[in-house]
Amino acid sequence: MPELRLSGLVKSFGPARALDGAALSLRGGEVHALMGENGAGKSTLIRILAGLERADAGMVTLDGAPLPLGTSQAATAAGLRFLHQELQVVPALAVAENMHLSRPYPLRLGLVDWATLRQAARGALARLGVDHIAPETPMGALGPGDQMLVRIAATLLEGGPAPWAYVMDEPTAALTGAEAARLFAAIGQLRAAGAAVLYVSHRMDEVMLLADRITVLRDGAHVATRDRAATTRDEIIRDMTGREMADLFPPHRDRAAPAPLLQVAGLRAAGLGPVSFDLATGEVLGVAGLSGSGRGALLRALIGALPRAGKITLAGQPLAADPAGAWAQGLAYIPRERRAEGVMPRRALAETVALPHLSRLSRRGFVNHRAATALVRRLSAQVRLKASGPAQPVAELSGGNQQKVLFARALAGNPRLLLLDEPTRGVDVGAKFDIYALIRNLAARGTAVIVVSSDLPELIGLSDRIAILQGGHITQTLPATGMTEAALLAACYGKDG
Amino acid sequence: MARVLRHYGSLIGMAAIVLFFWAALPDTFMTARNWLNISQQLSMLTVVAVTMTVVMVMGDFDLSVGAMASLAGVVAAVLFTLGAPVPVALAAALAVGLAGGVLNGVLVSVIGILPFVATLATLTMFSGAAFLVSGGKTVFGRDIPQGFADFARSGLPLGTLDGKPLVLPALTLFAAAVTLAVWVVLDHTTYGRRLYAIGGNAEAARLAGVKVDRLRLSAFAFTGAGAALAGLMYASRVASANPVQGDGLMLSAIAAVFLGMTITRDGQPHVLATVAGVVTLGVMDNGLTQLQVDSYVRQVLVGAIIIVAVSVSAIGKRAMRGR
Repeated sequence: MPELRLSGLVKSFGPARALDGAALSLRGGEVHALMGENGAGKSTLIRILAGLERADAGMVTLDGAPLPLGTSQAATAAGLRFLHQELQVVPALAVAENMHLSRPYPLRLGLVDWATLRQAARGALARLGVDHIAPETPMGALGPGDQMLVRIAATLLEGGPAPWAYVMDEPTAALTGAEAARLFAAIGQLRAAGAAVLYVSHRMDEVMLLADRITVLRDGAHVATRDRAATTRDEIIRDMTGREMADLFPPHRDRAAPAPLLQVAGLRAAGLGPVSFDLATGEVLGVAGLSGSGRGALLRALIGALPRAGKITLAGQPLAADPAGAWAQGLAYIPRERRAEGVMPRRALAETVALPHLSRLSRRGFVNHRAATALVRRLSAQVRLKASGPAQPVAELSGGNQQKVLFARALAGNPRLLLLDEPTRGVDVGAKFDIYALIRNLAARGTAVIVVSSDLPELIGLSDRIAILQGGHITQTLPATGMTEAALLAACYGKDG
Repeated sequence: MARVLRHYGSLIGMAAIVLFFWAALPDTFMTARNWLNISQQLSMLTVVAVTMTVVMVMGDFDLSVGAMASLAGVVAAVLFTLGAPVPVALAAALAVGLAGGVLNGVLVSVIGILPFVATLATLTMFSGAAFLVSGGKTVFGRDIPQGFADFARSGLPLGTLDGKPLVLPALTLFAAAVTLAVWVVLDHTTYGRRLYAIGGNAEAARLAGVKVDRLRLSAFAFTGAGAALAGLMYASRVASANPVQGDGLMLSAIAAVFLGMTITRDGQPHVLATVAGVVTLGVMDNGLTQLQVDSYVRQVLVGAIIIVAVSVSAIGKRAMRGR
């Protein structure tokens, strides 16, 4: 059986250390789970394996011989295949053609030999134990789970370079229970055929069901590799979280006497609700939940970007059901997908900052450019934005500074209620600290904050209370003081955890 | 080098075109009279291209403007033949333009059809309607009121040159006024900044409180009214109207906006850049005509210049990205 060994991997991005002594051994014929919190270094390790990043230091060997990585071709040549969350498929083409995207079609007399093409596809699917997908079906007609099975089966076509190891990054994130079960069966087939599967997931129950061994990373370093049969769920959670809370969080400030601000009663939207809760001025409510729990939908429903039902009042007034009205009432929203939903990448950063506030920055419809520029400059300084000036296109900034552009935009309206979806995702440590300080200061001045995050230490460090979302419902609301990551994670997994 | 090419390549190219014709036509090209003449020839295209810029800043475009220009001209002319006073006929033609633009806007923003498909379909409809309204014939002669035709012949006297009066044509002034108005709207009003925001990232704009659907609809109405205006200018200039006379404006207008996009810093449409694109197209047409280049050859050359300009810009962009 082949064995891939990684040891002593180090990788820095600027001042931030993504990997700091990560190690892993992957053997043929095993399912190996890679676990860790957000920012533990799982994605960086996988990107190094895939040749998308180069490690600053460390060893990678295959059966004892050094393995040159650094390009995706090298990773393919080493027999590694990567199945990402976002699958690359051509929806309009048939399953059999999608399986042949990166290899020549079988030909007869120079024309495509359709019968052989379908036969090859059917054979590969059968080797994976899949018999419910017809090769002539258009790829777009399949669900995400079946698409993933097709992608895996494509690596089993005859005549190609046979991979021995598969890396699956959160493969079940978008799958239903039945789809996941089919995927698990396929993974079992791969293992039985002697292949290795590196399985990245934060779903404890899946890992305990599938994995032979479990490796935990924390802060970029290797913590432990354990046999599944000889460990427990609690031990893994302790491995993942057992660190001192870094002094990343500024102390809670005394705040003015809280007054009721937001009342949410029976809020419903797609995949959410009914949800009810109250929020006071200056209060920070953390929202924890696994992906698919409705945590993003909650914020989108509040800002009015999702059709919703239910009664919501802000300081006694009904809350507008569209983003324009919600911003005008003093809400501000920082969406999860910075580039797709937040900024205008190619345009000057000042335009992104000013956009929700244009009405206030204009007289009789004419924009007061001087006032707008002054506002952008003042807020850029306040959020400690590193940019050449208001005219710099957002795309030229780092992730952390792009996020600060969105904070500047949110702060520009002196919001009464700030909605944050993963506020520090893809942000380096320095910018993280700045962002935490901003949130604290806002709360001290009376702004209420709802923060959705999958970064548990962040939730505990920032929030006054933490609401646990499960399947679109708030199952409990806990005080953040004295909360441990393990307890919070356990609460997120809830009854099925 | 790539940066220079990207930012100034097209401007240098435009200057080179002017210099070329200046050298090739030393006596007639670089004269006040010729430039006033060019400005009048270009006035209709300017209005269409500048109002086309309004939808193109959102990343949309409108293929129906040429057909709308024809339709508006024919509507006004037919009303003239029925004895309608000039203001009534003009108002009716502009209303048709506005209504056509609203139709485009509803199809694109409310129903959600791709602008290419929606405006291709309305192009066909407007064109057919122009034939229906006019009965397929050209309306001209006595039926066109003198006052309407005189507008295009009038202008602002600038003095005399070589014994003949030099006049800044009214159509040129009118096109300049429209350009100024659209520039103010796009660059200095909240409305215009929001249109640019939609072009920059429509989903982000929506989440930031921009009423994307409503603004898109209104921008198409703006473009439709601009096309109708150009159709009326055309009818006044030739003192007649036929159901195809504005059709050629559409491709030239889109070409002008694209040419303009090659000179803006961010590679996006801008009113003043569009005007530079219009002038480039007009200068080439004027110069090549004076050089007695066959009109088919002229078409090939104009197309080639557009390809060269946009290619240089695209290559520069790619070089920047790969740095």
